[in-house]
Amino acid sequence: MRTQARHRSPRTGRISTSLRRVTAGVALGLAAASTAACGAATTGASSATTQQLTAPPASALDGKGEVQVTFWHAMGGKNGEALQRLTDQFNQRNQGRIKVTLQYKNNYDDTLSAYKTALNSGQAPDLVQVYDIGTRFMIDSGSTVPVQSFVDVDKADISDIQPNIAGYYTVDNTLYSMPFNTSMPLLYINRTAFVEAGLDPDKPPRTLDEITAAARKLTVRDANGNITRYGFGTALYGWFVEQWTALAGQEFCDQGNGRDGRATKVNLATDEHVKQLEWWQRMTEEGLALKFNSDTAESDNAFTSGKTAMTLESTGSLGGFLANAEGKFEVGTGFYPKADASHGGGPIIGGASLWIVGKGKDDAHKRAAWEFTRFLATPDAQATWHTATGYFPISKSALDTDLDKQWRAQRPQFDTAIKQLESTALTKATQGCALGVMPQARKAEESAMQAAVHQGTDPRQALQDAEKSLDSAIKDYNQSVGG
Amino acid sequence: MLTRPDPPTGRPGKPGGGRSHRVREALLGLLLLTPGLVGLGVFVVFPLFQAVYLSTRDNDILGNPTRSVGLAHFAELLTPEFGALLARTFLFTALVVVPGVLLPLAIAAPLTQKLPGMRIFRTAFALPFAYSASAASVVWLIMLNPGTSPVNWLLGLVGVQAPSWTSDPGWALVTVAAVTVWSVSGFNLLVLAAGLAQVDEDVLEAARIDGATGPRQFVSIVLPMISPSLFFAVVTTTLTALQALGQVHIMTDGGPNGSTSTLVYSIFDRAFHNNNSDYGLASAQGLVLLVVGVLLAAVQFGVLERRVHYR
Repeated sequence: MRTQARHRSPRTGRISTSLRRVTAGVALGLAAASTAACGAATTGASSATTQQLTAPPASALDGKGEVQVTFWHAMGGKNGEALQRLTDQFNQRNQGRIKVTLQYKNNYDDTLSAYKTALNSGQAPDLVQVYDIGTRFMIDSGSTVPVQSFVDVDKADISDIQPNIAGYYTVDNTLYSMPFNTSMPLLYINRTAFVEAGLDPDKPPRTLDEITAAARKLTVRDANGNITRYGFGTALYGWFVEQWTALAGQEFCDQGNGRDGRATKVNLATDEHVKQLEWWQRMTEEGLALKFNSDTAESDNAFTSGKTAMTLESTGSLGGFLANAEGKFEVGTGFYPKADASHGGGPIIGGASLWIVGKGKDDAHKRAAWEFTRFLATPDAQATWHTATGYFPISKSALDTDLDKQWRAQRPQFDTAIKQLESTALTKATQGCALGVMPQARKAEESAMQAAVHQGTDPRQALQDAEKSLDSAIKDYNQSVGG
Repeated sequence: MLTRPDPPTGRPGKPGGGRSHRVREALLGLLLLTPGLVGLGVFVVFPLFQAVYLSTRDNDILGNPTRSVGLAHFAELLTPEFGALLARTFLFTALVVVPGVLLPLAIAAPLTQKLPGMRIFRTAFALPFAYSASAASVVWLIMLNPGTSPVNWLLGLVGVQAPSWTSDPGWALVTVAAVTVWSVSGFNLLVLAAGLAQVDEDVLEAARIDGATGPRQFVSIVLPMISPSLFFAVVTTTLTALQALGQVHIMTDGGPNGSTSTLVYSIFDRAFHNNNSDYGLASAQGLVLLVVGVLLAAVQFGVLERRVHYR
């Protein structure tokens, strides 16, 4: 959409100056106009409904020949390759019946954006991968068939799915989508640095205060007083704050974290959050934590290069950490730290899930999309997925397969995640907040974190500002979906 | 044309058969213009009217326009926050345009000297032009990573403590602007070097005989003679800076706490980012951008171009 008047030579010669002036002026104006028009690329007028669609029975595929299923996803690199392998396996087993075609849509944000546009123009895929925080929005879009509906029709047994993982995608006691790539936050430590500093690498810090104490010992200064290694350093990623909220047993948004009814308010300016941001401020002021923006790629890089000795990241980063730290230091993992030792909750799972599109789709396509979704949730498929990508398997028995056991034998660090999940009780708090504008809420949260850590704003003030900035967005959203 | 008898005066375009000729010429002209006009209509004029329409509408969660809200979206822009956003956009534009034109000019002057190896230098300096904004941003993020930055390491060697390039609110906008300067200077260097190469040696010779040397010659002779190139560089760089999105999105995502959020970033944010689909407000902001673009164009063409010397 960007028009750039780059190819016009400055000396076109024949055209008179005034004509040139007019055309160039028009070009400049139009270039600006085309950017203006970027925001204006939608048509259609149908309004979203929250009425849910129901699942067709298995017979929907009878006599339909080979049903073509399009699956939009956001898995790049080795994750995308693993997904392709699983898809090929499924297609081979279902020859003449179902054929799944993958379409890579860059990232979660772009996938969702494309999906909305496609719904309006009738070009929607049959299956779409949506990030955790898009859950409430997908329900409200009224465009999908709840997974629960297929489970009920098939009388399928889904007890093999980890209850904490299914819990995130369950709203009003209905499982709306099938969890797929799942991750949890962990504390990652540089074991080699721990030994150097006289700390026990088998006992990583369990609370924020313990992190501070360990960071004091891990931080190294050179002769000029410059810090050569920081004890701690992690991105100002909103997900981390949401985790502390859940560990404290608190709900991030009202109405039982949006699980009992539509949430109307995000609880950002809480004493708990203020304490966390104050801790973060102290860590950077004391020179114990390296400052980062909200992009975890930067803090990952600093950790594997040995510049920081502890970081927070998702389980999905373990593989990358092990590979990039190889030959430099030993990577260890610990439970995600609590903001206070007295907290008894657990972390929330993250990642993405699969949504079966129903709007504008015939029964055969809905059914075919479900068959593929069910295949991806099987223990074998999950073991393949888990060991190829490092995401947490959603199937309990995937952990008992030989493939998975061998993989974990080489990466004992992953057992921390399994223990952490097993010791987390499923409550409203650990289910996480289901909110229509959750992506915006996370961004606002990150703005507050940045204001506090980078701009020195009073944490409570920063959190109140962020909370206020969300009020109208939540109100507009709820009004738009009629609740 | 061949069958038309010569007009009595012997000159073409005069009365007597000239009218049908002119009509045919006009029709032919229109025919040749049609593909361009259709493209312009579909991709620029139609979306512009659509933006005007959408700016008066609310959106449902899927982005469909709903009820009319009149000028409410524009009223939403009458806040100190939006004023700060505009000011930041102008600051960013200035931080890109001034060094983005002066730096290549400073490099272009020695590069036009007929010395061996200059072609290699010219190619090397022009290379950033080939990078997309996104690729350049990713590369520079790695160069400036707080943990592993080679730039910080070099600064450390000369005893300079590097700032937090992308997370310090005082530096973030400067950093994003600097990366934009880096990527526009290659193109500007080509434009300015081409302008300098066409400066007539005879004129310079004459000036030297008249006693104008060094800075005086540059300001009084060279600058006016390359002013069309210079003007072109200023206008295109202004546009690039006004529309810079990839750099902001990738390097800072508008942060820390909005301190690198420009008008275009804000439009993108309202319309497509974080599952937003507030096309109404985004369109209103887009129209503000249009006005800004037109105003800047008016200033540049009305004030600056008077001083441009076309030959």
